[in-house]
Amino acid sequence: MRNHPEQTILRHMPAGVATLQGPELRYGFVNEAMETVLGGPAPAGTPIMEHPGFLASDLLEVMQQVYTSGRPFTAKAYCLALPGPGSPDRYYDLTLEPFRGASDAITGLLLFTVDVTAQEEARQQAHRLSVETRRLDTRLRVLTETVPQITFTLDAKGHYEYVSPQWYYFTGQPPTAAVDAIWPLLIHPDDRLRVLYQSEAARTAGTGWSYEYRLRRHDGQYRWLLSRALPEQLHTPGEPVYWHGALTEIHDQRELTEALRRGEAELRFLADSIPELIWTATAEGFIDYYNRHTSEYSGLNQKELGPTGWVNLLAPTEQAEAARQWVHSIATGEAFEGVFRMRRHDGQYRWHIIRARQLADGQGLRWFGACTDVDDQHRLREVLQTQYNELARTNYDLDTFVYTASHDLKQPLVNLRGLFEELSLVASFNDPQAATMLHMVEDALAQLELTIQDLAATVQDQRGLSAPTERLDLRSTADEILLGLRTQFEQTGATLEFDLEAAPTLHYSRANLRSILHNLLSNALKFAHPERPARIQVRSYLLEGQPVLAVQDNGLGMKTSQAQSPGFRPFARQHTHVPGAGVGMYLVQRILASYGGQLEVASTLGEGTTFTVHWAAAQPEVAPAA
Amino acid sequence: MHHIAYISRAVHPLTDEDLHELLTQCRRDNAQHQITGILFYSHGKIAQLFEGEPAVIEPLFARISRDGRHSHVQKLIDKPIVARSFSEWSMAFHPLEPVGFETLQGFLMPHHVPTPPASLSIADAMLIDLVRLAVFGGATPPQAPAPRADAEPT
Repeated sequence: MRNHPEQTILRHMPAGVATLQGPELRYGFVNEAMETVLGGPAPAGTPIMEHPGFLASDLLEVMQQVYTSGRPFTAKAYCLALPGPGSPDRYYDLTLEPFRGASDAITGLLLFTVDVTAQEEARQQAHRLSVETRRLDTRLRVLTETVPQITFTLDAKGHYEYVSPQWYYFTGQPPTAAVDAIWPLLIHPDDRLRVLYQSEAARTAGTGWSYEYRLRRHDGQYRWLLSRALPEQLHTPGEPVYWHGALTEIHDQRELTEALRRGEAELRFLADSIPELIWTATAEGFIDYYNRHTSEYSGLNQKELGPTGWVNLLAPTEQAEAARQWVHSIATGEAFEGVFRMRRHDGQYRWHIIRARQLADGQGLRWFGACTDVDDQHRLREVLQTQYNELARTNYDLDTFVYTASHDLKQPLVNLRGLFEELSLVASFNDPQAATMLHMVEDALAQLELTIQDLAATVQDQRGLSAPTERLDLRSTADEILLGLRTQFEQTGATLEFDLEAAPTLHYSRANLRSILHNLLSNALKFAHPERPARIQVRSYLLEGQPVLAVQDNGLGMKTSQAQSPGFRPFARQHTHVPGAGVGMYLVQRILASYGGQLEVASTLGEGTTFTVHWAAAQPEVAPAA
Repeated sequence: MHHIAYISRAVHPLTDEDLHELLTQCRRDNAQHQITGILFYSHGKIAQLFEGEPAVIEPLFARISRDGRHSHVQKLIDKPIVARSFSEWSMAFHPLEPVGFETLQGFLMPHHVPTPPASLSIADAMLIDLVRLAVFGGATPPQAPAPRADAEPT
């Protein structure tokens, strides 16, 4: 070809142009751009086969086919790998056209190349982004459609652009349903206006929302849902804004909260109707509820009492101890109990038992407490205690008086007896009845002496009623008593037999045992039959495991109205001809009764009497005789 | 003069650095506004009693309750008092690394917290004991002030 002005233009075109002549496809005209593709200048006349440059062999074959067939060929984004440091692939749109000569026969090929690398890279990038977007979209869809929530997207006008399948499952609506129209109708009538208003207000303001409402389920039941949505943070200006949100079913939680609220209300209603101070406290020890009676009693309401202000109601000297005890209970979980004085609204302090326990209720650990007014009982007990103390003191004084009196009377009596003896010795009486009268006076004096002795003895013994118990040997105690009664035994020729082996020991107070034995034995001696010497048998044995003492005599006997607890009253005597004050058996009964025991009498008039002493309601185990 | 006491829960447990920063920041602010008191912290549990003029502490409490670092803020008391019971504002907690905190102004190891001053009513002293118990658990033994020798009520 000749150099034309067109050739100059062609030479500098950005597209590559080359002519290939003849069946060997020899290079003809090659412009600069094509030289880049070929990797350098192409020597004219050289067959392309010998100088393909960067063109691949398959392209050369295609060229041959185009030459022979005459059909043009176009390859879009044909990749050529150009060498060089880090040079990436370059893409060209290739066109091969047959070049016809004068007779319309193909004389060569025209090769065009256009560099489309940038476009190709952009296309590839776009493709990659598209794949990635599809992948993310799929993931999002899977997540939103498997999560047990209804998700949705709506625009600023309230039109739903997307609702997840869960919406259809929940509402039971067919897939063809018009969501925009139907959704508001499924909202509970009482909630509808509020929901629509709140949604619109949020969309107008461009903010998100969070509210609860009832939505009709497929079975007709209304369920509580929580609707939350947020506007898209990033959006291109001019494009509509979308709100993305989710609906979560909260029906069960709401029911539970309602139940707890109802339960709490019922608890408070119950607590308010009880006329006691009732309160509850958190697990940390702060009081969160005082019942109505507490406010009425104290004159302060819940706010004024506060979480720890109850301490102020207590007597000032008791506050620190109560506070310490409460903190200890909170720290350890131990129940709280104490008796404190609590100030009433009128300033009066009344005794209360305050009790509190920690229990677990629906919301966790909680303290439940009550303050019971025991002021009346407390004061009554104090009064009784005072009276008892007074009575005890009076009794003691009385005993002391009696003892002192009897003691003081002894001396004058001794004197009197002495004087009378003197008188009866020195004086002589003319009256024949004088001797009798002297005897009578003597007897009276002796009687007086005995009475005074017994009185003193009674008082002494009564004092000893609360003496400590010990393990005593019956025989040795009896022997001690017998020492004092020896004279009488010798004078009357009385005999005494002991049979104590079955139960030789006794848990008793020494003084009281001596008292009882003394009285029983001296009685047996006193009431001996005049016609025969007294024969006394003392037996100690076990009756149903309990020790029992029997004192049997062959004396005068007596009339008995009841076999058990004949009820010896002081100074009531059966045989008045026998000297004695009549306090002995009464004393025995009193002592026995104080230990829970009793006295049994069996007697036949003129033959004898058996006194059976049941020592106590229950004696500790007595070891059997060795 | 009023005092306010509250308990709350930290949203995220506070690190030694957080506590250090909180301490220095609070001491600075509170000294400036003449607020005294004490703050307890342990394992996410927070409790504070602070005293000052109502005009200062009411807005302070409002700010505290809105602070995003804690939630479940429960105000326990908010009432007038006759006189201050604390001479300064301090903080008691167990640092992971005690070294470096020992010399820090206003820092107290929990077992070094003094017993509630006698100027506090027994009810308020008990409140501090309960609050300290709630934050630190039963480790630190609470001590109530000595009983007052008031006249016997009728």
